[in-house]
Amino acid sequence: MTGFEVRVNGRTHDDAPRPGQCLRTYLRGHGWFGVKKGCDAGDCGACTVHVDGTPVHSCLYPALRADGKQVTTVEGLATDGELHPVQEQFLAAQGFQCGFCTAGFLITAAALDDEGRADLPRALKGNLCRCTGYRAIEDAITGVKHVEEPADGEAVGRNLGAPAGPQVVTGTARYTFDVDVPGLLHIKLVRSPHAHARITGIDTAAALAVPGVRVVLTHEDAPQRLYSSAQHEIVEDDPCDTRVFDDVVRHVGQRVAAVVGETEAAAEAGARLVRVDYEVLPAVTDAHAAMRPGAPVVHDKDPVEARIARPADNVLAELHDEFGDFAAGLAEADAVYRGTFRTPRAQHAALETHGALAWFDAETGRLTVRTSTQTPFLTRRSLCALFDLPESDLRVVAGRVGGGFGGKQEMLVEDVVVLAALRLREPVKLELTRSEQFSGSTTRHPFTVEVEVGAKADGTLTALRVHVVSDTGAYGNHGPGVLFHSCGESIAAYRCPNKRTDAYAVYTHNVPSGAYRGYGLGQVIFAVESALDELAHRLGIDPLLLRERSAVRDGDPLTTASGAEEDLLIGSYGLDQCLDVVRAARAEPVGPVPGGWLVGDGAALSMIATAPPRGHFGEARLRLLADGTFELSVGTAEFGNGSTTVHRQLAASALGVATSRVSIRQSDTDLVRHDTGAFGSTGVVIAGTAVLRAAEAMVGALLGAAAERSGVDVSRCALVGRGVDCGGRVVPFSELAAGEPLTTTGHCDGTPRSVAFNVHWFRLAVDPGTGEVRVLRSVHAADAGQVLNPMQCRGQVEGGVAQGFGAAVAEHVDTGADGAVTTAAFRQYHVPTFADVPRTEVHFADVTDPLGPLGAKSMSESPFNPVAPAYANALRAATGVRFTDLPLTRDRVWLGLSRD
Amino acid sequence: MKPFAYRRATDARSAVATVAADPDAAFLAGGTNLVDHLKLGVACPSLLVDVSDLAADLVEHLPDGGLRIGAGTRNSDLAAHPVVRAHYPLLSEALLSGASGQLRNAATTAGNLLQRTRCGYFRDATAPCNKREPGSGCPAVAGHNRHHAILGASPDCVATHPSDLAAAMVALDATAVVLGPDGERRVPIGGLYRLPGDDPTRDTVLAHGELITAVELPAPFGGRARYRKVRDRASFAFALVSVAAAVRMHDGVVEDLRLVFGGLAHRPWRAAHAEDALRGSAPTEVALRAAADAELLDARTLSGNGFKVPLARNTLVSVLRELTDGAAEPEDDA
Ligand SMILES: Cc1cc2nc3c(=O)[nH]c(=O)nc-3n(C[C@H](O)[C@H](O)[C@H](O)COP(=O)(O)OP(=O)(O)OC[C@H]3O[C@@H](n4cnc5c(N)ncnc54)[C@H](O)[C@@H]3O)c2cc1C
Ligand code: SF4
Ligand code: FES
Ligand code: FES
Repeated sequence: MTGFEVRVNGRTHDDAPRPGQCLRTYLRGHGWFGVKKGCDAGDCGACTVHVDGTPVHSCLYPALRADGKQVTTVEGLATDGELHPVQEQFLAAQGFQCGFCTAGFLITAAALDDEGRADLPRALKGNLCRCTGYRAIEDAITGVKHVEEPADGEAVGRNLGAPAGPQVVTGTARYTFDVDVPGLLHIKLVRSPHAHARITGIDTAAALAVPGVRVVLTHEDAPQRLYSSAQHEIVEDDPCDTRVFDDVVRHVGQRVAAVVGETEAAAEAGARLVRVDYEVLPAVTDAHAAMRPGAPVVHDKDPVEARIARPADNVLAELHDEFGDFAAGLAEADAVYRGTFRTPRAQHAALETHGALAWFDAETGRLTVRTSTQTPFLTRRSLCALFDLPESDLRVVAGRVGGGFGGKQEMLVEDVVVLAALRLREPVKLELTRSEQFSGSTTRHPFTVEVEVGAKADGTLTALRVHVVSDTGAYGNHGPGVLFHSCGESIAAYRCPNKRTDAYAVYTHNVPSGAYRGYGLGQVIFAVESALDELAHRLGIDPLLLRERSAVRDGDPLTTASGAEEDLLIGSYGLDQCLDVVRAARAEPVGPVPGGWLVGDGAALSMIATAPPRGHFGEARLRLLADGTFELSVGTAEFGNGSTTVHRQLAASALGVATSRVSIRQSDTDLVRHDTGAFGSTGVVIAGTAVLRAAEAMVGALLGAAAERSGVDVSRCALVGRGVDCGGRVVPFSELAAGEPLTTTGHCDGTPRSVAFNVHWFRLAVDPGTGEVRVLRSVHAADAGQVLNPMQCRGQVEGGVAQGFGAAVAEHVDTGADGAVTTAAFRQYHVPTFADVPRTEVHFADVTDPLGPLGAKSMSESPFNPVAPAYANALRAATGVRFTDLPLTRDRVWLGLSRD
Repeated sequence: MKPFAYRRATDARSAVATVAADPDAAFLAGGTNLVDHLKLGVACPSLLVDVSDLAADLVEHLPDGGLRIGAGTRNSDLAAHPVVRAHYPLLSEALLSGASGQLRNAATTAGNLLQRTRCGYFRDATAPCNKREPGSGCPAVAGHNRHHAILGASPDCVATHPSDLAAAMVALDATAVVLGPDGERRVPIGGLYRLPGDDPTRDTVLAHGELITAVELPAPFGGRARYRKVRDRASFAFALVSVAAAVRMHDGVVEDLRLVFGGLAHRPWRAAHAEDALRGSAPTEVALRAAADAELLDARTLSGNGFKVPLARNTLVSVLRELTDGAAEPEDDA
């Protein structure tokens, strides 16, 4: 085509797009990395740009049609170095977390007229955000300001903005794929169409004949070594059951081969031409059926070597424990409730898909892997073990990560890029599509939980039993951890002398489950909180009262069916305050309700440990730079959880300086020694403690150095903003930097651990005619210890509540009889939009924890957990029907009502 | 994605000639449906003829009091058009109830009417599907069929038509102006869509290469109208059930009415039985229910969509109640 010309942010590009190329890839190909991909199908809005001033999804806009037009991306919103008002507003309200959706929201918001601004639920239909729960976005668009600028050294407890905010709102934050690596090759994966099959042959000739295809990698090229895609500090926590490419496939969508091509199109064409012969084997896709005698065996492996409890019975892990005497407790009860609850497979739906690049450094020959991960150090360790590389030869870095929620505590792409890079010695990239994300990454573990609970007439619990079956899918990554955790704090939250747990994590030929916000707790909490609520209704007592009577109190030991939890204690206690919040909310008047609708309210509580058990290491390093500012290096990753903001606040406060004088580097194995990474809600509690310790050590080092330099005794030296006052003379930090290099480190091993609490409450109205449910009020009370950044912590709570709300009312990954995922797009898998998420009032308990940094506790996974049961409990109160299966979609609600 | 050629049409006639002559060619309008299908491998044309520059984006008054809408009129422009808002609010409501601002800015009137089903198996190029590959089977019949048809389906295909606009257009008695290799013809939108029968590959009665150039609306129907969409969540989801209704009352009886269901069938479903039952009678609660039941008498449900029958009935009754007695219903759409 001749004469193509498009103006992008004032610059002209005149190379013609390929036929069929969409505007999104054309723009990114020209370095406009602010244009993101969340779905490539018109569902998410991350790719929104203006064409002649009108917002469109660039992923569905034929690039050729942009001929002669003006395109504006987020990079072009600012003019002459002046931010566009919406960019300023997004900064002032901090209308983002991971920021991956932000460019799309900014572009959409920048084009809104008054009518659009007056109807945001409708105007923002085309933009998804998985992190924020939308309140912060609404505040940004309507011009609410939250960010404060506190005095030097007074950052803690204040609303500071994220250090990367300016980059996020200008589209210059660099996410995983926002790098230009010359000569980059592209990988596309061939995936299994069968639930269970042995590969009898792979013919790669036709694929290799495609121009531009460089190599096809199969199980013959992959290491024999087995590993787990799960990343944990203790490798033995997960079974050894996975190969990069296996000669047996165990679920539809399992990767079978990688085609490496010079272009994505070549790799894709090659992938379609790889011929795989399969000997199809019997499969089992139901977890209960998988445990029955004679069921097809998913992993015929040695139990000890593979760390699988009973491979022949498909039992990956199990737990059978009793504390007290359950039967006797039940006999004592005045009322007993027994029910079975089910939670479905769910997807993290982080807006940035999984993906990684790998390249060799030209000079050193060292391999770098740039990946979207929560755990750079663990991933490096796993890759080195898998490919026999010394750790010094491999660097793993993360760019800014576009959301994780547990899904990126997993090695799902890095192994493939390293295999390809080692083979070709050339730079390679693998970026999953949204549909692969659904059928080839991991999901939340589907659970079936039977609860039996007995109580005295006054609500005192006498017996509590859970029977749990978790479907871990085709691979056991996180299967044991999720199972054990699920029966931990959910049970320990209640005082009850007799507890019993029987729990199984079961292999099936389904897409693998993995780590997901809440790590199993949410599933069992849904069951337990629903059951207790029902028990209260049967006893005729207020469900909130039953909780107040039977929940753990300050000073109580924390016991599960296995007895006391090791190194876990109630370091501080704010549950009572949280319950009071709900009590007060409930007492307020109901407000207007549509005629004929049923109204009810309900609550649920949850408890969570502030860190994972048995060791989680945080490492931080602080360095004084020549200009007298500080460079903080942290090992842990930032994926929108906001830990970086808090780290900077902690360091700046300890050093008595403005936060602007602390720069941050992170998520890079070259920076510090070892760091377990960002999971288990550890960003503030563990990494933050490491930061605080490094900063405290730096204070000592600065005082010592200043004393030496000035000859004044250290006892007369004190920090004063930009230097050290030594008996009246101020030695600036920059002067100290001229001497011996000052570097300090801080370390935290994550033990002992405290607990945090969350209580959620809903008031709902239900239309019995259509099953439509409207949230009249949503209140969340959290015990996060000392809140180091209220604005951000509120954002974490709202994001968790929104995700919990999605799980409660809409989200379910469906599979066919062969286990194939049938909801492999946002069109079918409904992540809540702006219009769907109710606004939640967030309250914090006034608590200081002796174990956390400056009294803080964790608050990133936990707000998710009580949401679904609170919703179900409110629905029960409104309708009299106990709903036991999530999600509570409109047709289910309606059916439940009509059945009764 | 299969490689293909791209050509920008400069006049309707040659565009029609080009596409009609090449069985693997297709018209490209806004692309919001077709580009998605190209990426998914659901559509594999070898030639795309871009008709978005045919200056067919005019909305004009017709001498008979009606309105002519150019086929290329963007969904956003149509929804915001002052005449549409004032006299055909059903169209605005239907358009605004679906998709998003960004999509409506790109999507066209004809493209919207001719978008293809959202059946997940149809959209999955690796799954069997009679609509995509004749004779390969219909996995929805025994599979996930929560969103599928309860009226007019066949054993070969149980898909529903996804367009909200189409349901509204049928209720407005609109007519498509169609240009083919042999000249122009006019097809009432009510007769544009097919039931699947034993050939689910064809959604409409249009022949390959026929181009919709405009849609014409008769003079406004008068009375009151409402588009109500019931879906899983407040926003941005295709309809589980929708109702496009227009009612003209006189002296407490229904003088005339138009009722169309969306989301229940392979085409927008004109509820003629219900219309007949109500025309000329008083809209009592009993009459409304009886009318809805009359329409749904022939409903055939699948394993996962039984809920649609009562949901459709309740929705129709509640919309009719609202339009006939003026009692405002709670706002449903976001
Ligand atoms: C995420 C998402 C959500 C959506 N939600 C909804 C919803 O809730 N409700 C709803 O109704 N729609 C919804 N849509 C559909 C959207 O409205 C359609 O994609 C759009 O209207 C199609 O218009 P287009 O101009 O982009 O068509 P194109 O994609 O260009 O074309 C669609 C089809 O029509 C043919 N065609 C186009 N113009 C002509 C013509 N003049 N003559 C003959 N054939 C022609 C093309 O060959 C193609 O087969 C949604 C779409 C997306 C991506
Ligand atoms: S319902 Fe129709 S579109 Fe869906 S799979 Fe069956 S044949 Fe294909
Ligand atoms: S990437 Fe375009 S809408 Fe999601
Ligand atoms: S901030 Fe919106 S997706 Fe992460």
